[in-house]
Amino acid sequence: MSNFSSIAYYIPELILVILILSVIVIDLIPSLQDLKFPVAFIGLGLLALALNLSHGVKASIFMDLIVVDPFSHFFKWIFVLATASILLVSRYSVEVEEENHVEYISLMLMILLGLFLMASSTNLLMIYLAIELVSIPSYILAGMKKNDRASNEASLKYVIFGSFASGLMLFGLSWLYGISGSTNILDIHAALLTNGNQFLVYMSLMMIMVGFGYKISMAPFHYWTPDVYEGSPTPVTAFFSIGPKAAGFAILIRVLYTIFTNDGSLNATSPLYDVNWTLIFAVLAAITMTIGNFLALHQENVKRLLAFSSISHVGFMLIAFTVIGTEALTALLFYLVIYFFMTLSAFIIAIFIKNKLDTDTIDGWKGLAIRNPLISAFMVISLVSLAGLPPTAGFVGKFYLLAVLFRAKTFYWLAVVAILNSIVSLYYYFKIIKSMYFLNEEEEVSSEPLEVNPYVKWTAILFSAQTLLFYFYWTPLIEFINRSLSFWNS
Amino acid sequence: MDNSTLFALLILFLPFTAFLYQLFFGKKLGAQTHLVSLGIMGIVLALSLGFFFQLFNHDLTGPILDVSGEWFSTGAFTLELGFYIDKVTIIMLMVVSLISFLVHLYSTAYMKDDPRYSRYFAFLGLFTFSMNGIILSNSLIMMYLFWELVGLSSYLLIGFWFEKNSAANACKKAFLTNRVGDIGMFIGMLLIFFTVGTFSINGITGAVTNGAFEGNMQLLSIAGVLVFMGAVGKSAQFPLHIWLPDAMEGPTPVSALIHAATMVAAGVYMTVRIFPFLTPDALQVVAVIGGITALGAALIAITQMDIKAVLAYSTISQLGYMIMALGVGAYQAGFFHLVTHAMFKACLFLCSGSVIHAMHHSLHHLGDHHTDPQDMGNMGGLKSKMPITYTAMLIATLAISGVPFFSGFLSKDAILAGTLSYYHTYHGWTIFLPIAGFGAAMVTAFYMFRLIFKTFHGKPVKPEIHEHVHESPLAMTAPLIVLSVLSLAVVFTLPQINPLDGHGWFAHAVGNGAHAAGLDIKHVNDGIHHAHHDAMNISLIVATLGILVSSLFYLFKIVNVEKLTSILNLIGLYSLSKNKFYIDAIYNALLYKPFMWFSKLASTIDWDIYDQKIVDGWGWITMKISVKSQEADYNWLDQKIVDGFGRFANYFGNELRTTQSGVVQNYLMGGIVGLVAIILIFQQF
Repeated sequence: MSNFSSIAYYIPELILVILILSVIVIDLIPSLQDLKFPVAFIGLGLLALALNLSHGVKASIFMDLIVVDPFSHFFKWIFVLATASILLVSRYSVEVEEENHVEYISLMLMILLGLFLMASSTNLLMIYLAIELVSIPSYILAGMKKNDRASNEASLKYVIFGSFASGLMLFGLSWLYGISGSTNILDIHAALLTNGNQFLVYMSLMMIMVGFGYKISMAPFHYWTPDVYEGSPTPVTAFFSIGPKAAGFAILIRVLYTIFTNDGSLNATSPLYDVNWTLIFAVLAAITMTIGNFLALHQENVKRLLAFSSISHVGFMLIAFTVIGTEALTALLFYLVIYFFMTLSAFIIAIFIKNKLDTDTIDGWKGLAIRNPLISAFMVISLVSLAGLPPTAGFVGKFYLLAVLFRAKTFYWLAVVAILNSIVSLYYYFKIIKSMYFLNEEEEVSSEPLEVNPYVKWTAILFSAQTLLFYFYWTPLIEFINRSLSFWNS
Repeated sequence: MDNSTLFALLILFLPFTAFLYQLFFGKKLGAQTHLVSLGIMGIVLALSLGFFFQLFNHDLTGPILDVSGEWFSTGAFTLELGFYIDKVTIIMLMVVSLISFLVHLYSTAYMKDDPRYSRYFAFLGLFTFSMNGIILSNSLIMMYLFWELVGLSSYLLIGFWFEKNSAANACKKAFLTNRVGDIGMFIGMLLIFFTVGTFSINGITGAVTNGAFEGNMQLLSIAGVLVFMGAVGKSAQFPLHIWLPDAMEGPTPVSALIHAATMVAAGVYMTVRIFPFLTPDALQVVAVIGGITALGAALIAITQMDIKAVLAYSTISQLGYMIMALGVGAYQAGFFHLVTHAMFKACLFLCSGSVIHAMHHSLHHLGDHHTDPQDMGNMGGLKSKMPITYTAMLIATLAISGVPFFSGFLSKDAILAGTLSYYHTYHGWTIFLPIAGFGAAMVTAFYMFRLIFKTFHGKPVKPEIHEHVHESPLAMTAPLIVLSVLSLAVVFTLPQINPLDGHGWFAHAVGNGAHAAGLDIKHVNDGIHHAHHDAMNISLIVATLGILVSSLFYLFKIVNVEKLTSILNLIGLYSLSKNKFYIDAIYNALLYKPFMWFSKLASTIDWDIYDQKIVDGWGWITMKISVKSQEADYNWLDQKIVDGFGRFANYFGNELRTTQSGVVQNYLMGGIVGLVAIILIFQQF
C-alpha cells in the first residue's frame, strides 16, 4: 500500500507521535507545565479509542514495512495498558524526580511507539529499527536517577549488552538478506523455500535469536536483567519487565512462524528444513527457568528477586515454542496477559513500599500486614499467582502451557523440569509473604498504618483482582486471544 | 445484549452489590444503612414488575429469554451458564422480589438497635442474590451453584445471633441436613449429564422427548428421585424436615423470607422446573413424600406452644402439599399453592414477628428476661392492643385454612382435586393421598385457629405483660397490610371475581405444564377437572369442622382441653405429636448415637489396641532395628539425598550467583560462550 493511503491505518501511531511532541511543547510553556501527566493520559485515552476502532483490521502498509493485523492489535493493547498504568504510578513515585518528568513521559511514550512498531514490523530493517527505538530510550530511562551510582551502572551495562546483542542480530539479519535478497519476511520465506541452505538458515536463526533473546531476557542472554532491574527506578523496572518482553515475544512469534516454518503462517506445524528449533527452545526454556529460579532463591532485594522471577516466567513462556501450532500460541498469549497483571501488581506494590519506606529489601517489608492489611492481602494474591497456585490465574496459565506439551506428547522432561521449578519458586515468593505476615517474637516493628495513594492502591488492587477473576472465568480472554491469532498474509 | 438480558443481569447482581456495600461500607451510614439495601431492592422490585407486565402480553407464547454463555471448556465437555425466563420464572421473580423488599422494610424496625445491623442487611442481600440466581438459571449446574449459596446465606442468617448456643447448633443442623439432600441432587445431575451430555433443563427435556433414555427409564426414574432429594432437603420434606423448626432461631423476618416464603419454596420451584422429565414412577415417590409431610407436620403443629414453631410445622405441611401436588401431576396447582402460600405465610410470620416484638418490648419494659416472648401460653387478648396485626393475621389464617374468598382456598382446592383424581386413576393404596390431603386441611384449620384464639382472644394470661404491649410501628405494619391484601382470592383470579373458581390470569399464565417422560398431562387435567366439585365440597366441610372444633376448644372453651389431652395421652397420642413423632429422637438413636458409638469404638480400637499394643509393640522391635538403620538412614538418605536436594538448590543458587558477578565483560563472555555452545550442540547437518 502506498504511503499516503497507509495513513488511514496508522492513526494510533500518529496520535502517539503527536502526543510525544505535545508533551515536550507543553513543558516549554510555564503556565501549562502541570498538565504534562493529564495530557499524557488524555492522549493515551484517545490512543486506546483509536486502537479499539482498528479492531479486526488487516492491512500491510507503508510499502509492506509494517502490517496492521489482529495479532499486533492484541499486543498493542498490552503495551498501552502497561504504559498508562506505569505512568499513573510514576507520577506518585519518589524515584522519578519532578524536574525530569517531561523527559520521563516522552521517553516512555517513545518506547511505546517502538513497541507498537516491534509488534507490527514485517521487514528486517523495520524490525531492527523498532528494537533500537525501544532500546535507546530504555538506556536513558534506566539511568534516570542521575546521582545514583547503581542507576548509572545499570544504564551503562544495558547499553553495552544491548549493543552486543543488536550487533549479533544485525549480523544474522544480513545473512538472511544475503540468502534471500529481500528484507520483507514474507518474501524471505518464499525465497528460502526455493533456494535455501539448511546451515545458513540455522546460523542466521541463531544470531537473530540473540537479539530477541536479549529483549525477553532468555538465557544465556539474560545477564543484564538483574543489574538493570535493580539499578533502574522501580516504575521503569516494572515497565521493562512487561512492555519490551511482550514485544520481544511478539516479534519472535512473527519471525519464527513466518520465516522458519514450512508453511510460513500461524497455522504452521513443522519447522523449515527440519531445523530443529523446537528442541533448542525446549533446552533454553529449561535453562532459563532454572537459572531464574535458582538465582532468585538467594535474593534479599525485592526488585532483584522480581527480576529473576521474571526470567523464570520467560522460561515458562518459552515452553510454548517447543510445539509449533496455534494451541501453543494461545497458551503463550494467555500466560502473557496473566503475567502482565500479576507482575505489574507486584511491582506497583513494590513501588509503593519504596515510596513510603525507602527500602528494597525483603526485611524492609516486615510487618506490612499490620500496617496495611489491604495492600498486603493483594500482594499475597499476586505472589500466589506468580507461584502458580490456585485459586489464581497463574495456575490456569501454567496449566495451559503444560497442557500444550502433554497434548503434543513431546518433551515430557521439560514438563517435569517446569513443575520442579514451580516448587522451587514457592520458596522465594513465600519468603516475601512470610516477611509481611510472620514475625519472630522478639522482633519489634512499627504498627503505624501506612497511607496509600488511592490511584496506586486501586491500580494494584484492580490488577491483582484480575488474577482471581481469570481463575474463575477466563473464557472471554481465550476467545479474544483466539480471535487475535491471525497474521496479515498476502 | 438486549434489554431482557440486561434486566435479568441487573435483577441478579444488584442484590449482590447491596451485599458488598453492606459488608465493606455498612458502617458508614450507621443506623441509616438500610436505605441502600432498601433502595436496591426497590429497583429490583421495579425491574421484576417490568417483567411481570409482560405476562399480559397475549402474543407471548414461548420463553421471554433463553440465553447462555460458555463458562469454560475443557475440551471434553463445555459448561454453560445462562438465563431462562418464562412465565413461571416471572411469577417466581415477582414473589421473591416483593417479599424480599417487604422484609427489608419490616427489618428496618424489627432489627433496629441490633449491633450487627449492617451485616444483617448484607446477608439479606446475599440471600436475594442467590435466590434470584436459582430462579433465573437455565441449567441444573447453575441452579446447583446458587442452591449452595442460598444454603450458605440461610446458614449465616439462622446463626445470626450466634452467641446463643441454640442458634449456633440450629445453623449447623440446617446446613448438614441440607447437604444430605444436595449430595443426592448432585449425583442425580451427574447421572443425567453423563447420559444426555448437557445440564440445560430444556436440553434435558428435549433429549428425554427424543428418547435419550429409551429402554432405560429406570435410570431416569432414579436420577429424577436423586435430583428431587435436593428439594427434600431444601423444602424440608420428610425425612429431612428436621432442620426447619430449629431454623426459627434466626430473626423472625428471616424466617418469613427464607424459611417460609422463598428459599424453602426453592425446592418446589426446582421440582416444577424438572417436572417435565420426572417419570411417573419418580412422581409417585414425590407424591408419597409430599403426602406424609403434609399430614405429619400438621399433626405436630397442633401441640406446639411456641408461636413460631407452630408456623414452622405449618410451613413444612404446606410445602408437603405443593410437593404432593407435583407428584400427582397437578403442576399448576402446585405452583399456584407455592405463590399463594408465599404471600399468606410471609404475612403470618411477619405478624408473629410483630407479636414477638411487642411482647419482647413489654418484657423489656418490665425488666423480665426469663419469660419466653414466643410462648403462646403467655399471650392472650392481644386483639385490642394490636388491631392491625390481628386483622392481617386473621386474613392470612383464613387463607391458609382454605376458606372461600381467600387465596389458599383456591390453590388447596386444586391440589385436593389432584389427589382425588390420582386416586380415581390408580385406586388401591393411593387413597392415602386424598386422606392425607383432606386430613391435613382439617388439622391446619384447627391449629391455625388455635394459634389465633390463644394469642389474640380470651383474657390475657399475664395481665402485667399485656399492659405494656403496643402495636408495632408503620414500617412493620405496612408489609402486613400489603401481604394480607395479597392473600385475597380475587388477586389471583382477575379478571373474573367468582370466589369459588380459580381460573384467572394466574392459571392462564402458568398453563397446565408439559411432560416428556411418559405422563399423560391431558388425562391428568381432565381428571382434576372432574374431581373439582367433590374436592371443593369435602374441603369446605373439613375446613369448617376444623375451625368449629378449634373454637369450641379455645374460644368458647366448652371442651376442657387439658382433660382431653390427658385422655388422649393414655394411648400416647399427645406425646407423639408434642415430641414431633420422635423423629429427632429416632435420628439421635439410629444415626447420631451409633455414629458416636462407632467413633468411640474405632477410637478405642485405634488407641488401646492398635496404637498401644500393636504399634507400640512393633515400635519396640523397630526401635531396636532403627538404631541400627538410623545411622545408615541419617548418613545417607537424610543427609545426602533429602538435604542434598535442598543443599543442591542452595549450592547451585550460590554458585550461579557468581555468574551474576556484575562485571559486564563476563556477561558478554557468557553470552558469546552460550551462543557458540548452542550453535555447536544443536547443529545437525
